[in-house]
Amino acid sequence: MQIKTASAISTGLHVLVLAWATLSFNSKPFETTPAESLPVDIVSEKEFSQLTKGIKDAPKPIEKPKPVVEKKAEEPPKPVEEIKPKIDEKREVAPNKEMKAETPPPDPIADKIKPQDKPPEPAKPLAQAQPQPLPPKRPPMPKPPQKQPEFSPDKIAALLDKRDPTRKSVTGAELNSAPSLGTASGAAAQLSQSEIDALKARLYALWSPPAGAQDASNVQIMIRIRFKRDGTLATGPQVITSGSGPVFNAMRDSAVRAVLVGQPYTMLRPEHYDTWQEIDFVFDSSKMYSDIPVRRQ
Amino acid sequence: MNPADVAQSVLPLTSSDLSLLTLFLHAHWIVKLVMIGLMVCSVWVWAIAIDKTVLYTRSRKAMDRFETAFWSGQSLEELYRSLSSKPNHSMAALFVAAMREWKRSFEGSPQKSFAGLQMRIEKVMQVTIAREVERLERRLLVLATVGSAGPFVGLFGTVWGIMTSFQSIAASKNTSLAVVAPGIAEALFATAIGLVAAIPATIFYNKFAGEVNKQAQRLEGFADEFAAILSRQIDERG
Repeated sequence: MQIKTASAISTGLHVLVLAWATLSFNSKPFETTPAESLPVDIVSEKEFSQLTKGIKDAPKPIEKPKPVVEKKAEEPPKPVEEIKPKIDEKREVAPNKEMKAETPPPDPIADKIKPQDKPPEPAKPLAQAQPQPLPPKRPPMPKPPQKQPEFSPDKIAALLDKRDPTRKSVTGAELNSAPSLGTASGAAAQLSQSEIDALKARLYALWSPPAGAQDASNVQIMIRIRFKRDGTLATGPQVITSGSGPVFNAMRDSAVRAVLVGQPYTMLRPEHYDTWQEIDFVFDSSKMYSDIPVRRQ
Repeated sequence: MNPADVAQSVLPLTSSDLSLLTLFLHAHWIVKLVMIGLMVCSVWVWAIAIDKTVLYTRSRKAMDRFETAFWSGQSLEELYRSLSSKPNHSMAALFVAAMREWKRSFEGSPQKSFAGLQMRIEKVMQVTIAREVERLERRLLVLATVGSAGPFVGLFGTVWGIMTSFQSIAASKNTSLAVVAPGIAEALFATAIGLVAAIPATIFYNKFAGEVNKQAQRLEGFADEFAAILSRQIDERG
């Protein structure tokens, strides 16, 4: 076989392959599925600063319903509601619950009468084993009904609950103490920005440096403040910054006064007491008139 | 969409059209040169491959036939007479060359010279083997060269194409993918052609080199056997 024949065959093959490639290699544009629009929640700065750190294996919120109290953080503070301890529903026995639900306004007379109606059922251990018809009602007993719940076979589970019947449910701030699916970078054990800002606002509002010292824009006074759990000072404010001169002394004294006057610092939440047990607070005269956070409180 | 519209939309090759032809036409002339050269190489490689495949197949079959005839007890004189006019394969050429030397020593000259005959026959056969192997190996080096240099040539085309496309990107001051992609695609096309040429070349070269080696071994073996036969003849007559 001559090489010419082979060349002709080869050329023919190449032409065929190229023709096929030219026809079939037309680039098709990638099909892009349009992205569906996602609902976006706008998280305010305050909410963001209060994000708690989550762990990966936390139960889903649906599987484990939250405790009874709704989070009240966003609403205007209602001190009465938040402070008042709530009775856990589980422990409540029927008469109390119904009584509470059915008496719309606190009626002093009705309150006095109704506990008398309730027969104080002695919660004997034997009673659980042998359920018997309710005994006839007895004369009123002075004990409050919470302490002496009436026995009913439907409430055995509640009666078996050995916990303190008047124990408090968690209230607002401790609501999310159980680990939840939070953000990866949330830092729960730190003072949130809002708390720091509130503290700063309060201290700066109380701080009145001498009028002439306002021009001394570079004076910074660091004061170590030790708190007790209730927000009052554990020890006297300790001035860390060292300095001299009448201006410095005047500003230092005014800062110490501000710290003393400002207590109790209720904006610091007791759950985070570890973090604000001791705070080095800097009074900065240059930020005095520019940086005061006015928005909160 | 009627055919007229299709023709209308196909005829002006826009830059978004990325068929192979467009890629080739839009390339820089150096890249075009590389592509054409590699295409020619590929054509030549396949031509050689077809040629050699046919050649080796025929050669092997002819050798088989010749060896059957040679060992069948047929007279070597008859075999020589039937083959001497046109030895059509390597082993026949070897046989004819040796026989010719033998006959020349016996028939040509009146006084028989046996002294160097053995050596002469071996020499002739070695020369013939070398010539035949050279014939079998011809153009195999092209395959080796294309196989080793093809990717580099293609890579050169790619580098050049990417260089120019980056220059045009810099000139247009736009780095969106739609601007970058056609240049890169046409540059990579060069490497693709280089690989298309080089991969078969390498495979065929290895295959054919093995085949040539095998046939050369076979020729050597036959030459040794034939030399032994002739040597016995020489000793019997001398």
